[in-house]
Amino acid sequence: MTPVSTDTTPSAEAGHDDRRERLARCLERARSGELAALDEVVRELNPLLWHVARAQGLTVDQAADVVQTTWLELLQRLQEIRSPKALAAWLVTTTRREAWRVSNWRRQHKQEGTEILESTADRGPEPSERLVEDERDRVLWGHFQRLSERCRTLLRIVAQVDRPDYSIVADAMEMPRGSIGPTRGRCLAKLREMLLADPGWSSS
Amino acid sequence: MTDSASEPLDVTDQAILEQVRAVHSLVDPPPSDLDERVRFAIALENVDVEVARLVEDLLVGSGARGTERTRTITFDGDSRTIMVTMVDTPDGRVRMDGWLAPAARLRVELRLAGATPDAPATSEIVVSDDSGRFVFDGVAHGLAQLLVHPIDEGDATRVATPSLVL
Repeated sequence: MTPVSTDTTPSAEAGHDDRRERLARCLERARSGELAALDEVVRELNPLLWHVARAQGLTVDQAADVVQTTWLELLQRLQEIRSPKALAAWLVTTTRREAWRVSNWRRQHKQEGTEILESTADRGPEPSERLVEDERDRVLWGHFQRLSERCRTLLRIVAQVDRPDYSIVADAMEMPRGSIGPTRGRCLAKLREMLLADPGWSSS
Repeated sequence: MTDSASEPLDVTDQAILEQVRAVHSLVDPPPSDLDERVRFAIALENVDVEVARLVEDLLVGSGARGTERTRTITFDGDSRTIMVTMVDTPDGRVRMDGWLAPAARLRVELRLAGATPDAPATSEIVVSDDSGRFVFDGVAHGLAQLLVHPIDEGDATRVATPSLVL
């Protein structure tokens, strides 16, 4: 049985502060005209933006285009964004809006009779589980799939951000900030209950 | 206001979340070239650009004879739409026929990424005709981006597309 404690892992908090300071410096340099400083910010935040776009049901190609569009739009807004937290929040909100625009456009313009390029590359929103080789990961993935769509989306995004930045999750989910905690708590409790009851996860 | 989001998670919850993150990065990772594509697309000299979003990417033509396939991509910006049709040519290069709407004589720049991530990008520039048509012939395969500039360095908006893989 996994021990249960209320360890707040101070080292993780310190790592978060370091990271935020580093991103703040990059942002400052980018605002003063050194665009190459954004490279590091792109590397740090792309996984989050990717999962926000994919969680909206976009194909791989659509999600990649939406993430690019979001960064391009940032260029014009760079002077208005002052902190890494504001940057992440703005990027997440824009990614969600752009993803919505893509799925909406697609609904309205269903093409028939032409071969749509995306159809060949489309792996769909449900990724392949063949790639999960580790038994414990496979067990978790199996139980994770049984959660509601809302829980899957929320936990997927929550897992990408550092805990002090949950307002970003609220932006990504279009949920009131105050409801992120309780919803996360319920989703995580459900997953945890299933995992602890599964010997394939809890005994190792 | 109490906010349970800021309450500490216990180690089990943290371990579960960490595993959720790890499994997602296994089953649905960002494309390996996503960072590179973003960095290329935003490495612009002038950041005052209107973004033309990719709204449609179609492969049309016979699947059996792949060489006759054309790919048509439409980018939509607030001020202008850019449509390009690309076809592979027998010499292993790409011909791109484009249209601007509303039609106008404008400078159209095709930025091409260097062969390696550290190599500088190069650009080819053509001027669209009165009906908004432009052509790039003999383009190498790779990462590319379209920019549309005013003929005079006036106040007309510059338009930039996301990068596309030719």
